[in-house]
Amino acid sequence: MSYQEKNITVSLVSTLLILGYYLVNVFQMYQDGGLVAARVFRLWAIVIVAGIIVNIVSSILTNIVLSIVHAIKTRTEEEERFIEDERDKLIGLNGMRVSYIMFSIGVLLAMLTFVFGQPPLVMFSLIIFFSLVAEIVGDISQIYRYRRGF
Amino acid sequence: MDKRRVRNNIRKLRFHHDEMTQEQLAEKVGVTRQTIIAIEQGKYSPSLELAFRVALVFGVPLEEVFSYTFDDDSAKTA
Repeated sequence: MSYQEKNITVSLVSTLLILGYYLVNVFQMYQDGGLVAARVFRLWAIVIVAGIIVNIVSSILTNIVLSIVHAIKTRTEEEERFIEDERDKLIGLNGMRVSYIMFSIGVLLAMLTFVFGQPPLVMFSLIIFFSLVAEIVGDISQIYRYRRGF
Repeated sequence: MDKRRVRNNIRKLRFHHDEMTQEQLAEKVGVTRQTIIAIEQGKYSPSLELAFRVALVFGVPLEEVFSYTFDDDSAKTA
């Protein structure tokens, strides 16, 4: 597994955890009697901020852990080449494209709930849900491409 | 449309260059070992620049490293 693959896997796991946290909170809200604007928007903020912070922190931690593992394995102070080459860039771009398409479909579906008479809070909840799902699908498509070769 | 694909002789050329490892070649051309593996297995077609860099490492013309041939190795002509 290459450095990029490990990084994407960590990102995938952290996004899955955030999605889990989000879904648990939304279901709790439904059990408490339905969506409440203040709680939905607070959840929005938590998910977005957590998404950014967790991604940055996990990326830094992955780098540190991989460097330590490499140093222990090779028993030298020679740095491992954590480079991003043209294939990595193409796979990354493709993953972004997949995420973008998935998110576009999600936004459209969220809008449709509004068109069919659902309250706006449902639309907002679905938008954040699909943004997380889009990131997960994008990460999976990248891992799939890495496993396949390209 | 012609069913052609990019093929390469990197494995053979590495062997003829003191059994150069994939890691060594990757370092020389500035990519990851995984990219060299993908190119060798014909799963990834490199950019023109990377193809030239690989040819430069082996000191041979581009056509000796990469070829663009038909899927079945029949003697089809272009």
